[in-house]
Amino acid sequence: MSLSPRAKAAWRRCLTNPRVVTGGVIIGLMAVMAVLAPWLAPHDPQEQDLLATLLPPMWSAGGEGRFPFGTDTLGRCIASRLMYGARIALYVAVVAATGAMILGTLLAIVAAYFGGWVDWLISRAIEVWMAFPPVVLALILLVGLGAGVNKVILAIIVIDWTRFCRVIRSEALVVMVRDYIAAAKLAGFSHRQIMLKEMLPAVLPLVITMMSIEMGIAVIVEAIMSFVGLSVEPDVPAWGVMIADARQTMHQAPWGVVLPVGAIFLAVLAFNLLGDGLRRALDTRLVLGRAEAA
Amino acid sequence: MMTLAARGLCVSARLAGHAVAVLRDLDFAIEPGKILGLVGESGAGKSMIGRVLARSLPSGFAVSGGSLDFHGADGKVSDLVAMDGAELAHLLGDRIAFIPQEPLTALNPLLTLRTQFGEHLARLGVPAGDRNARIIDALKQVRLSAPQSLLERYPFQLSGGMCQRVLIAMAFASNPALVIADEPTTALDVSTQATIVQIMRGLQRDHATAMLFITHDLRLAARVCDEIAVLYAGEVVERGPARIISQDPQHPYTRALQAANPPLRGPLTRLVTLPDQMPGLSALAGLTGCRFAPRCPTRDPSCAVASPELRLMAQGHWVRCAPACAGFRPAAPSIMRMSAEASASEPVLVVDTVAKHYPGKRDWMGRRGQGVDAVRTASLSVRPGEFVGVVGESGSGKSTLAKLIMGLEAPTAGRILIDGHDVTAASTATRSIRLGALQMVFQDPQSALNPRRPVVRLVTQTMEAARSCASDTERLARATALLAETGLPPELINRYPAQLSGGQKQRVNIARALCVTPRLLVADEIVSGLDVSVQAQILNLLLDLRTERGIGLVFISHDLAVVRYLCTRMLVMHQGLVVEEGETDAIFARPQHPYTRALLAAAPPDDLDSPWPPSGPAQETLDAMA
Amino acid sequence: MAFLTLQLLFRRLVLAIPILLCVSALVFAILRLLPADPVGMSLPPGATAADYEKLKQAFGLDRPLFEQYLIWLGKLLSGDLGGSIFFRRPVNELIARALPATLELVSAGFALGVIIGGAGGLAMFAMRGGAGEHALDGATTIMMAIPEFLWAILLILFVGVSLQLLPFIGRLGPGIQLPPPVTGFLLVDSVLTGRWDSLRSALLHLILPATALAIGLAPLVMRVLRSSLLETVQDDYITQARLRGVSERRILLRHALPNAALPAISLIGVQGGFMFGGTVLVEMIFAYPGIGNLMVDAVRNHDLPVIQAVALVYCVLVLGINAVVDVAYMAVNPRLRLAGSR
Repeated sequence: MSLSPRAKAAWRRCLTNPRVVTGGVIIGLMAVMAVLAPWLAPHDPQEQDLLATLLPPMWSAGGEGRFPFGTDTLGRCIASRLMYGARIALYVAVVAATGAMILGTLLAIVAAYFGGWVDWLISRAIEVWMAFPPVVLALILLVGLGAGVNKVILAIIVIDWTRFCRVIRSEALVVMVRDYIAAAKLAGFSHRQIMLKEMLPAVLPLVITMMSIEMGIAVIVEAIMSFVGLSVEPDVPAWGVMIADARQTMHQAPWGVVLPVGAIFLAVLAFNLLGDGLRRALDTRLVLGRAEAA
Repeated sequence: MMTLAARGLCVSARLAGHAVAVLRDLDFAIEPGKILGLVGESGAGKSMIGRVLARSLPSGFAVSGGSLDFHGADGKVSDLVAMDGAELAHLLGDRIAFIPQEPLTALNPLLTLRTQFGEHLARLGVPAGDRNARIIDALKQVRLSAPQSLLERYPFQLSGGMCQRVLIAMAFASNPALVIADEPTTALDVSTQATIVQIMRGLQRDHATAMLFITHDLRLAARVCDEIAVLYAGEVVERGPARIISQDPQHPYTRALQAANPPLRGPLTRLVTLPDQMPGLSALAGLTGCRFAPRCPTRDPSCAVASPELRLMAQGHWVRCAPACAGFRPAAPSIMRMSAEASASEPVLVVDTVAKHYPGKRDWMGRRGQGVDAVRTASLSVRPGEFVGVVGESGSGKSTLAKLIMGLEAPTAGRILIDGHDVTAASTATRSIRLGALQMVFQDPQSALNPRRPVVRLVTQTMEAARSCASDTERLARATALLAETGLPPELINRYPAQLSGGQKQRVNIARALCVTPRLLVADEIVSGLDVSVQAQILNLLLDLRTERGIGLVFISHDLAVVRYLCTRMLVMHQGLVVEEGETDAIFARPQHPYTRALLAAAPPDDLDSPWPPSGPAQETLDAMA
Repeated sequence: MAFLTLQLLFRRLVLAIPILLCVSALVFAILRLLPADPVGMSLPPGATAADYEKLKQAFGLDRPLFEQYLIWLGKLLSGDLGGSIFFRRPVNELIARALPATLELVSAGFALGVIIGGAGGLAMFAMRGGAGEHALDGATTIMMAIPEFLWAILLILFVGVSLQLLPFIGRLGPGIQLPPPVTGFLLVDSVLTGRWDSLRSALLHLILPATALAIGLAPLVMRVLRSSLLETVQDDYITQARLRGVSERRILLRHALPNAALPAISLIGVQGGFMFGGTVLVEMIFAYPGIGNLMVDAVRNHDLPVIQAVALVYCVLVLGINAVVDVAYMAVNPRLRLAGSR
């Protein structure tokens, strides 16, 4: 089936939007780096060189070419660790955001379509969830579940479905009062057909936009959890772990903190730019919010 | 002595590098105490004047020539277009006042009436101590009862009619030389319209104000105005005394406009319609010569070459047309009105004393608030091939009735029967009975057509539903047939709603309802959003469907003239109750219920010699409703 | 008016009670159903099975789950939050000492965020279409791409370590005595007892962590206020005010701004709640002795009674700030105020 002119125009607007392009390119490069890390990284991320600890990046005085971004307290290559860290960050971003998106969108459409007690129940659940600062809920979930990357993903899904559900439910309620939903009912469409064929396409631009922002949030949450030691195993390099380690020697070696912070900044910025650009290009009414993560 | 004069005023829009005139060579003049009507359908450019004055033209639009001269009390003439912004702001609200189209959104929702009116009086230099008295006095003049109690109210606590009266009072508070009223009654109910017009005219007469009255309604303009200018595609096509323009128009467009409007009195003839619709911006760019020529019934090859100038027909009567066209008379149309020939057969639909009560919201303690009785009690029956009108104003429950009939809402009391089967309770069985017999045409095609479906998948949507799995070729064939039946060109079949005009969308809306070959259509205000000429096309389409398919219709509308044109029988609804029911002709001749009488009195009659707005008991009823 | 506002606030708080009950059940369920073993973890190495059972009984962990919840809830309502496994102190006492610090921090961050956000939003609107707007827009993008805890680290690194402008550890400088406790709030106590040295030190210590928190709120307020102003000036009543000759300045301040502020206020309500979440890591990073720091310590030591209690305190704070902002919203919007007082 060919695309409708509306969809074609939306595609064109997306691909010519500078924010979408910038964000997309940054994420693309990061993804390439993450996937090819075993071949691109100059060192094994765990390889210690105790004779070369706390080296500065190669461009500053005392730096060495074999450690382009310098080394940490144990003499591990920061550049290699950043590349491997991108694997964790992007893995969590994609899986957790997809999970939260599916759960949240599903419940949002069901709540808006059926209304009544179904909507009441889902709305009350959102209210209870919203009473928790997300970080606090994540902490107690990880205390209960135990630490680990996949636990972090599970926690993000369990926490952030509400973010999708809240926004998409109100959009779906706007769609519900449109007469074409009534027309579909009169045409004999089943509940499932109406939800999938009439409502889902209408909220899809919003879902896509939110998905992009949620990936940025997932990167942040993973960083927070690995910062407090609740995410990855101790021998796995993650950006949050790098920051936590380097914090002790921040006075002598600030680059050890600044570089992973820069990596997180770049990833979140890229997802935010992508989301912001998509919002404009797809013309969804959504206020971009990141601070909800912390 | 003039108050406002437009001289060759042009407004252009930039479209792909070209300047397209959306207002071309506008000339008019208004004297003190006179009302000039600017009449046109949507897209004619009639609201551009207000935007020029407010300096709020859409981006890409600009005044490209001419002047708009305002004659002040001191004899000073100033061009409102060229004038400096601060100087203009000095005139606005003081010497020049506006009455807006949407009264409910024209007042700041966070401020009380006292604050907003007071702000205006403060700007006019009224000392703080006198403002309350002035406000109360002004509110009395617009016949608002208990003005004292209104002072601390917020706009959302008032009805549209009340807000409009407040805005009128504010407009006349400075005793302005000129008032510009942009569709001041369009957003209001018919019954309110008469009162608003009366108040506005009264104040205008008392203050000897010059007034520019912008409207789409030729019949209303004939009543309100001294002089009328008819706009088509940014040009004045005819201008002259109101009586002449409404009784004996010369331009083929004005004549078509008049012929497309169903009459309220006298014999009914089939409406004469123009093909197509007014050209949009992009169409105008490619148009040389007479802008009306593509739709004109009398055009000749010369029309496509040169744009005609305004010609003087008689004292003060100008027409922009080639000499040959002006004498054209359309063929006398046939008189219609079929008697209810199908009266013997069993009714398709019986609605038996249904009611719909919406329970109130629970408050914080869990107590239920007062609910709304949308429909208190309503009964009706429709026989095959019968057109039944349901007339009512906003809040009368007429749209809820449509939803009840269609099963989109469940009634709280009463029964609904289709072909003798009880379909009151929703179930799979009742749904399939409904699906075979009834379909609905929705009010707003913008909302009723999924923007993500092409026409072919819209009109054959029922074939997509669970049980009837139709192939694409079947659907294409069915869609082609439906387009032909509803008078749509076949090339639209793969278009999307955004690529269709308003009239085309409404035809698609009807085509979709016809897909399952229903015996009864329920149509809720399906022509209220359309221009008169497009409305006439749709009305005629419905009549043709009755002749060809023997289809029945429940036609819900606020417009008495339209209901009279289409329906043999009608119901009048008011506050959830059916207050009157009967043969249309009988109700128009001898209305029984006071509400029906007031409603009939509120509509401006075609005959300019019968008094309007009404006086006496009908006026009192109307005033109470407004 | 004041009475009405109090009445609305009371109602809003009553409505929060069932939510709080659900929240407490949820916290309890997560911490008890999931596979964490607080008893095993709080035993010294080499403990016997008998020791294990004894401790379990002492904590009441051997009873049925529902019963445990009811007992816990009952104690909770009587103000007893249990004893900390790790700190070996009553949880009440721990929280009572830490909570004022967090409230001071959040109040400062909140005020700073709203002021910067409001001023920035107005500035962005005033400079719309110009270079100034683009610069501010870029600034919001950068602010939003770095989470609070990283801002905290960057602020310490650049302002604290490199420039040595401001202190960044704890609430008071070394050598400065705590003022005698009156309310528990350091700033208030300092003023009440005339201890200007501790007031000055406490304020200086507040600047960096409060800034880190404010950066989470400010860019959102800026963006929402800007876009809502842009939308509001398109509204019909603005055009009508202009057509009545009302001055542009008056149109902006009297007509556009109050209407445009409504969405910003409701955003502040939601985000203000999230700001409490930001304190968890910010307090830890600044070694600021609030409940966030307490929470992190408790999490690291699997101190369930503390985790439970602090999580609930957080929820109470979030619901409280939501209620206050909601009531503020209703007070500003007559439509809701009139509907609410009926």
